[in-house]
Amino acid sequence: MLDDVLVLDLTDLKGQFAGRVLNDLGMRVVKVEPPGGDPCRRMPPFKDDVPGDESSLRFAFLNGGKESITLDIARPEGRELLLDLSRHADVVLESFPPGYLASLDLGYDVLSDRNPSIVVASVTGFGQYGPHKDYLAPDIVAVAMGGLMYISGDPALPPTKPPETQAFFYGSLFAVYGVLLALFARETTGEGRHVDCSIQESIATQEHTIREAATSGEAIVRHGSQHRSVAPASVFACKDGYVFLFVLGARHWEALLELWTDHPSVLDAPELVDISRRRALAPTLNPLVEEFTRRFERRELTQLLQERGIPCLPVNTPREFLDEEQTRQRQLVGVVSSGALGDYLAPRFPALFDGQRPAPSGGPPRRGEHNERVYGQLLGLAPDALESLSVRRVI
Amino acid sequence: MPHAFLSGVRVVSLTTGIAGPIAGRLLASYGAEVFKVESRAGGLDAFRMYGADPDASPRFVEVNLNTRSVTLNLKKPRGIALLKELVARSDVVIENFRPGVLAALGLASEDLQAVKEDLVVIHMPGLGSTGPQARYGTWGPTLAAYSGLTYLWNHPRGDRPIGSQGVYPDYLAGILTPSIVLSALIARRRTGKGRVVDLAQVDLTAYALGTTLLEVLVNGHEPEPVGNTSAYAVPHDCYECAGDDRWCVIAVEDDEQWRALCSVIGRSELAEDERFLGVARLRNRDDVDALLSDWTRRHEAAEVMNLLQAAGVPAGVVQSGLDLVADTHLEARGFIETVQHPVLGAIRLAGSPLKFSSGAHEPLSSSPPLGADNAYVITEVLGYERAQLERWEEEEVVY
Repeated sequence: MLDDVLVLDLTDLKGQFAGRVLNDLGMRVVKVEPPGGDPCRRMPPFKDDVPGDESSLRFAFLNGGKESITLDIARPEGRELLLDLSRHADVVLESFPPGYLASLDLGYDVLSDRNPSIVVASVTGFGQYGPHKDYLAPDIVAVAMGGLMYISGDPALPPTKPPETQAFFYGSLFAVYGVLLALFARETTGEGRHVDCSIQESIATQEHTIREAATSGEAIVRHGSQHRSVAPASVFACKDGYVFLFVLGARHWEALLELWTDHPSVLDAPELVDISRRRALAPTLNPLVEEFTRRFERRELTQLLQERGIPCLPVNTPREFLDEEQTRQRQLVGVVSSGALGDYLAPRFPALFDGQRPAPSGGPPRRGEHNERVYGQLLGLAPDALESLSVRRVI
Repeated sequence: MPHAFLSGVRVVSLTTGIAGPIAGRLLASYGAEVFKVESRAGGLDAFRMYGADPDASPRFVEVNLNTRSVTLNLKKPRGIALLKELVARSDVVIENFRPGVLAALGLASEDLQAVKEDLVVIHMPGLGSTGPQARYGTWGPTLAAYSGLTYLWNHPRGDRPIGSQGVYPDYLAGILTPSIVLSALIARRRTGKGRVVDLAQVDLTAYALGTTLLEVLVNGHEPEPVGNTSAYAVPHDCYECAGDDRWCVIAVEDDEQWRALCSVIGRSELAEDERFLGVARLRNRDDVDALLSDWTRRHEAAEVMNLLQAAGVPAGVVQSGLDLVADTHLEARGFIETVQHPVLGAIRLAGSPLKFSSGAHEPLSSSPPLGADNAYVITEVLGYERAQLERWEEEEVVY
């Protein structure tokens, strides 16, 4: 729906999810890689566990649907080409160390001078300014510094980071919002903007960590699976695995006791209808509740509780999630046709538009696969000119 | 006063909990007029209960900043009619009720688009608006469990899945929804058409596990939790530091960083030790972790981070909420902001992680007391007389 919006994606692992999402929202995304290729191409996991330049599943997920061109922006000719491309672009996404593009004379002021309507979004660990701006921020550093890790996991064990590179993904989602805000405002003003997105701050918007500490003088600490203010609301064991049971309201609690006909009489105490009382007693309540949940298989318990309006879902492995009838019927997974990886199954965009799941994104591009198309279409460069640039390792 | 990013955009927010309200807050704080519609007749946001009174729930306040509060009793036909009148004057409806709830009130997507043809409607259900489990009751942690996130968010070889106490699926949906809204509004300017979006929070959570799902779908693997480790970096973990529950993460991605680390921890002899160079370091993870922990335990977490970062080695304190509040970098960026609330007083909370070269978010303001914008909506937006509003208040229509 937004296929006339052109995005140049210069990001590394930090910002590639942003380009992926913009592409899924309908924009044309051209990935600008160094001539040696994006290092993400060599990151595991690999198809069939065989490392190779075109077999990274991480690269495929983050870059599926994008076009790829190669360009060495650090060389004068390459710099000029990027400026020429950006005259035709609506958005530039980048995640270089702060100041790097400016050091090549490719900062926002230069890009906007050539194209006042350009939107440039920078996604970095700590943002473009401030005392930590140059601190290195692989995902685990950003998620730790953003406060999400400290509150996650078993209190008896070290704090635990979420799987994959969630800090990068979450920061990228904020960057996407920044891009859309700037594009939306541009429709009125005609002028683009620079967006500075801090991944640390994106993570720090979650879970009330700052407000709670600022208000109470105490930090939220790890509680394992136990929800901070609802109980029973945790992971409970069943015969064949686990469920997450979430007993929020008084009616949920009463419905649970009604179903659990032989529950211990201590649970009939009237004060337990009050959620804060239940939460205070969670360490005592949870083992009792687990004696009940252990009588069932997880699907059986889920159905029994949901029929009574009590929120409960199984703790799935990724495969179990994919095998759920709900997931299958909603066709989350679709076939991606890709030259490099062959046809393969992949998760699609998580939203349905007017009842339709969007077509799967394309597969991952080969390095420089779209040089001719992009440089030809946008800059009118003929194949022999491209050949010459290629020989000189500019593209 | 510079032009707000989203001035002129009107959003009706029928939301509860975290995901829907945050989407509303994000749109409102950039200048959209967001009408949060609730009712005293059994239709209050569930998060209002986390406080002494419904207007003083800090958690509710935080996720509903900058929105307007309207009370319409949707159990009465006139309440429904007024909601439709408000929708007719709006651009977007966001809702995160259980699928079927609005349809049962005669407020299905097609009913809403019947009063405003080019309306953008965003449903944010837990498991989706369709499918055999669509009507299941879900809250963030149950969706994390269902999607595979809880299973994966653990140390390796734990005896049971733990995950996090938090509600990551809500936060994902909260930030993606405003982008979907704006992309639909930009497209609408070109096509004149509205859009109905069904964003299943669980699908979004799975999308954020895309690489892991490819391991299942393409390779047929059964991915296991890896905790704080990485398949291609050692050291890459969370290390105990001096003090109580103090930790610093360290992630070394190449030999250059490894050599710098050896120098910082006073073990330069290890810099050329072949056991710890290149891929050999991946095989000797336990030895690396042991010698590194031996050093980190003797230093404060902030010192570990600062010494290593100064030498070009990625490291970061596992910051608690108190650390965030005292973080000088966040302070220099003005990230933590203060909102005034009539009952709770000054509240310090997280602002926006976005800075723009021109313009900014609107000043953050507490959402007003329940129903405080009723007069504005009924008289100014919908054009009724004040006497009519008073009658509706007596009849518990505006309630």
